[in-house]
Amino acid sequence: MPEFSRRTLGDLALCALVIAGSIVLFIGASTLPPPRFEPLGSAAVPRILGGILIVLSVIVAVQAVVARNSESEPSPERPAAIPYRGTMVLIALVVYVGALDFGRVPFNVATPLFVLASGLAMSRLTFRHALFFAALGLGVALLLDWILSTFLFIRIG
Amino acid sequence: MIDAFILLFQWQNLAFLVLGTGLGIVIGAIPGLTATMLIALTLPLTFHMDPVSAVTLLIGEYVGGISGGLITAILLRMPGTPASIVTTFDGYPMAQSGRAERALALGIMASVVGGVISWMFLASMSPSLARFALKFGPWEYFTLVLMALVMLAVLAQGSLAKGLMGAALGMAFALPGIDSSIGQARLTFGSSTLLSGFGLLPVLIGAFAISQVLRDSNSAATDLKIDPPKKRLPVYWSDIRTHGANMLRSSVIGTWIGLLPGIGGNIAALVSYSTTKQLSREPEKFGTGYEPGVVSAETANNASIGGALIPLITMGIPGSVTEAILIGALTIHNLQPGPLLFQNAPEIAYGIIAAYLVANIIMLLMMWGAVKWIARVVQIPRSTLLSIILVFCVTGSYAVNSSFADVWVMIAFGVIGLGLEAARVPLGPFVIGFVLSPIAEEQLRASLMMSDGDVTEILGRPWALFFLVLCVLTLIWPVIAARIGKRNTA
Repeated sequence: MPEFSRRTLGDLALCALVIAGSIVLFIGASTLPPPRFEPLGSAAVPRILGGILIVLSVIVAVQAVVARNSESEPSPERPAAIPYRGTMVLIALVVYVGALDFGRVPFNVATPLFVLASGLAMSRLTFRHALFFAALGLGVALLLDWILSTFLFIRIG
Repeated sequence: MIDAFILLFQWQNLAFLVLGTGLGIVIGAIPGLTATMLIALTLPLTFHMDPVSAVTLLIGEYVGGISGGLITAILLRMPGTPASIVTTFDGYPMAQSGRAERALALGIMASVVGGVISWMFLASMSPSLARFALKFGPWEYFTLVLMALVMLAVLAQGSLAKGLMGAALGMAFALPGIDSSIGQARLTFGSSTLLSGFGLLPVLIGAFAISQVLRDSNSAATDLKIDPPKKRLPVYWSDIRTHGANMLRSSVIGTWIGLLPGIGGNIAALVSYSTTKQLSREPEKFGTGYEPGVVSAETANNASIGGALIPLITMGIPGSVTEAILIGALTIHNLQPGPLLFQNAPEIAYGIIAAYLVANIIMLLMMWGAVKWIARVVQIPRSTLLSIILVFCVTGSYAVNSSFADVWVMIAFGVIGLGLEAARVPLGPFVIGFVLSPIAEEQLRASLMMSDGDVTEILGRPWALFFLVLCVLTLIWPVIAARIGKRNTA
């Protein structure tokens, strides 16, 4: 798919999401009581912002469609990217926080595993790298655990 | 002011300032990592610190973060921070022609001079501006916040509608929670977690640190290979005569541009560079490794920090995301930035001013003495840095309330930030909208209560009207400018 139509579709998707969010604002505002002690009330700002967001979404959508019909802009040069890396790091992050929160996995165990997983996702998968990231993760975990528990009296996991 | 310096020179405050400046220089030197991200990450730690120490640490990081960018801008043509983009124009050609040490020396000296001159503006203007701002009522504050938000949205790169959309989205995300005016839950949809709203720190860390790490981890960029300077950094007394006027002019430009919301150090550097080029007798030499190019860019980008701190401490208006985070740092210590800061917490207001000057001097000493080693630290593999940063993000968000709900909010805002950037919605107005939304709403409601719902009362308040007119002009200016441009080309 050419860059330009991807951009148009992206803008239209953004507008759809923002309009959906604005509807949530209106629904939330409708449950709030009318103003009693002051002229504006609690629901006014959500309604104002919801309205502004819808208007802006329509403008962005129209701009995207009009730009699609006009002369296409040259796409800016982008650095080479490996998109799966970011996704893998995000999955590792969600699993890490989930393990700490729901699994009650100790911080000193979950952190080296997370650093190992995210580090390997961003570099080459070799035994040497794995060993390095595991050791790094353990060091960071022990240091942070000590700082948090000694100075801030906080325990994670 | 003298008391502020005495307080600053207490060993723990000075240690935090040195630590902050050092960290800032290193992070600022690494392309992709910014002072904003560093400050957002450090913010949770300051929660448990004395407010003066917290502020000194963050100011040190800010100054160091902007200054550190020049190292990789000169040696690699990869600006460590956006503020150093213009430094690459002449800094890199100088390094290529074997004058890397001279470019670094001039860049460091210019940064310090820019910082010191803008400090003079900061120290002399802030107390009187704060006294003036004390006369402002809710109408003035509301219109001022509105003006700042509109300027940020308009001046953000990309489409005006998307800039405004970013600001409105940020404001919308600040709405859930207990409405302090009536003490009732708003937009929480029955969730007890949302009763306290989205925490500032998880939102900031998510939108800036997490989204940046996720974006950087996608990058196929290889680790940096840098050739650190080998000789001593040369500066001469004759540089005062050669570059003095340039430094002075660029400092003034940087400071005044820094004052305006939404215009960062990169624009200050660009305007200053263009002005110096226009005034030069040898404009053709710019871009080929010409010393005044490095001097003007580095002086202006550092001077813009001092300028940006003026509206922050006098009126509580952030000029950029970094200042929005600094406002967050003050609010978590129950300090309200604005004119009353000079009365309620003078040690903080004057502490910021004093810390800014001393941070510039520490930056000079550190960069002068350790530029070789800083250049080596920059070569730490990206995967190592990003993995550690993620662990810091998680622990930092958790540490604020000892709650995993904050960590999930951080991840969610990381994804939102990534999505907004992918859709080219600027993150600056989004975050500043989030920070300023409660202030704007509170002031608007107070204004309407005072005037019994009569909006026309604004017409009798000159400053509020002035801010409102400025706001409208800022909004319509892009349309007028486009028409003028079309007419000129026709």
